[in-house]
Amino acid sequence: MTQPLLFALPKGRLMEQSKDLFQSMGIDFSFDNRKLVAADSSGNFRFFLVKNSDLPTYVNHGIAGIGVCGSDVIYESGHDFYKLHTFSYGGTKMCLAGLKGAHNFGNDAALKIATKFTSFTRDYYHKKNKPVQVIKLNGSVELGPVLGLAPYIVDLVETGNTLRANNLEVIRELADIKVHLIVNPAYYKLNYKRINKLVDEIKEGEKSWTPGSQI
Amino acid sequence: MADKNKMKVPQGSEGFFFEEAYIHRKVTEALQDLFNSWGYLPVETPVFDLFDAYRSLIPDGEADKVYRLIDRDGDLLMLRSDITLFLARQMGLILSEKDLPSRLCYSDSILRHQDSEDISHNEFFQSGIELIGKSGYRGDMEVLLLLSQTLLLLDIPSTVHLGSHALFNSVFSSFSDSQKKKILKLTSLREFGEIIKMCSAALGGSDAAIAAELFSFIGTGEELKEMTAGLEKKSAAVYNSASGELKYLNEVMEALKKAGCGDNFRIDLSEAGSQAYHSGIVFQVYMNGMDTAVISGGRYDNLLSNFGIDAPSVGFSLLQRKIEPGIGRKQRFSLPSGMIEMDEDEEIIESFLKAEKIRNEGKTVIL
Repeated sequence: MTQPLLFALPKGRLMEQSKDLFQSMGIDFSFDNRKLVAADSSGNFRFFLVKNSDLPTYVNHGIAGIGVCGSDVIYESGHDFYKLHTFSYGGTKMCLAGLKGAHNFGNDAALKIATKFTSFTRDYYHKKNKPVQVIKLNGSVELGPVLGLAPYIVDLVETGNTLRANNLEVIRELADIKVHLIVNPAYYKLNYKRINKLVDEIKEGEKSWTPGSQI
Repeated sequence: MADKNKMKVPQGSEGFFFEEAYIHRKVTEALQDLFNSWGYLPVETPVFDLFDAYRSLIPDGEADKVYRLIDRDGDLLMLRSDITLFLARQMGLILSEKDLPSRLCYSDSILRHQDSEDISHNEFFQSGIELIGKSGYRGDMEVLLLLSQTLLLLDIPSTVHLGSHALFNSVFSSFSDSQKKKILKLTSLREFGEIIKMCSAALGGSDAAIAAELFSFIGTGEELKEMTAGLEKKSAAVYNSASGELKYLNEVMEALKKAGCGDNFRIDLSEAGSQAYHSGIVFQVYMNGMDTAVISGGRYDNLLSNFGIDAPSVGFSLLQRKIEPGIGRKQRFSLPSGMIEMDEDEEIIESFLKAEKIRNEGKTVIL
C-alpha cells in the first residue's frame, strides 16, 4: 500500500485557509480534540499541525515532506526547500516602520531596528551596504519605538491597523511575502510523481476555489 | 548539579558504543571487502591539512563549517571536512602518470560543524571509492556498477538520481562562470521560473523556457528517450546543445538495464552537480526516511589538476552513519548471539584453556 504524503500545516489562519482550499479539492481532514495529527479520509495524506516558525525544521528533517509556509519564515530558517507553488492567499509585506514623522536616517550611523526577522533585516541592509544594529524581539514589536528600545522596526504589515494604533507608520516596503508549498528535496526525489500530481491539482483547485466556501 | 562542562558536547562530533559501534565496524569491513574485491585499495588521509590548499575548492556556505586551527609556524590548518578533497591533494602528491589508472577506497571520520538543528544529519563518517585516470564511458560505468553492488550489499530501499554537469555546461555554455553558478543553484532548487527570467535575454524567452523544462526532467530511461524526441521538435537550438549528453545518458541507462540494475536508477537532470569541480555525470542516492541524499558522486576530471596531476576522476562517497540504521538484513552485521560465560568459581587458567577450545569452534566466550 502507498504511504500517505506527510504534510505540515502552520497553526492559525494559514491552516484554516489551506484546509478550506484542500476541502474544496476533496481532501477532507480535521484536527479533532486538540490533536495535532490528522489523516484525510482517503488515507493519501497525513497532516501535522505545527507552530509556524517550527514548520521549516520539520520539513528540513523530512519528518513532514511537504509544508505550507511563508517566505519570511523560510528565510529566517536558512534552509533550502523546493518551492513548488505560490498560494494566492496569505500574502503580506515586510516593512520598515517607525514613529510617525520621527524618521530621520543619519548618513553614517547604523540603523537600530527591533524585529523578529533578524536574518532578513541584516541581509537586506547589508546588501544595500548599510550597517544595521538588530535587536531580536519575539512579539509586540510595535512597542520597540513606542518605549524607546529602537527607533525602527521591521515587521509584517497587512492592514497597518496595529501600526496606526501605536502612532507608527510604514517608512518603506522591503519585500513581498508570499505563502509557498515547500518540499524537502530528498522527499521530493522519492515521491516526485505524486507530488507533481498534487501540485497540478492545487493549481487547478485554486482557480475554482472561493475562499471560505468550505468553512 | 553536574559540572556543566562535562555535559557539553561540541557540534560536529559523536561517540557511539558497544553494539552500535560493532555494527558500524562490520559494515565498514563489508564495504571495504566489496571495494577490495573490485581492485580498489585502501588509503588513509591526514586528519588535518593546510587550509589554503583547499580554500578555492570549498563551496560558498561550506567554509564556515570547517574547523580551522593555527600551527606553531602560523599556518592556517583545517580538519578533514570532506574526504574527496583531502584525497585529491594526497593523490596529487604521490601519483604520477605511470600509476594510472588507480583505484582507491576509504572509510574514515570527517569533522565539520553542524548547526544544533542539523545534528541528526549524522554526517560524521564517509566511505567511498575513487577511480583515478579513467575517462569516459568505461570509467563511469565501472563506478555506477560498483555503486549498484554497494546498494545491493547494504540492502537499502533507495533510488539513484543520475544527472550530468556536462549537459548543464553544454546548454548554458554562453553564460559566464558566475552566471552559471547562479543557474546551477537555481537548478538544484528547481526554481525554473527564475531560470527563465535569468536566461531569456541570452537564449530568447521560448528557448529559456524549454531549457528550464529540460532540467526539470526526472524519469526512467524510456521516459528520457521520449523526452529527447519531444525536445528535438520543440527547439533546434536547445536540442543541438543537449543531444550529445542526452544520448550519453541514454547509453548509460541502457547498459544499467542490461546489467539488471536499471530499475534503481532515474535520470534527474536537476542533478547537475553542487561542487565547482564536477565535470561529467553526477548522481545522488536517496533513501526512504532520510532527509538528504545518503550517497553522492560523479565525475570530476579537473579536480586533481589543482593538486599537480592532470587525471580524470570519478567516484562516490556515502554517509555511512546516516545509512546504518536503515541497512536491510542487519543481523548480518550484528553481535554473534549465544555468548558463553565461564563459571566465575572455576580456576581462571582452567577456564581459559576450556574457553580457547570453544573459541576455536568459532564461538564467543567470556572468562
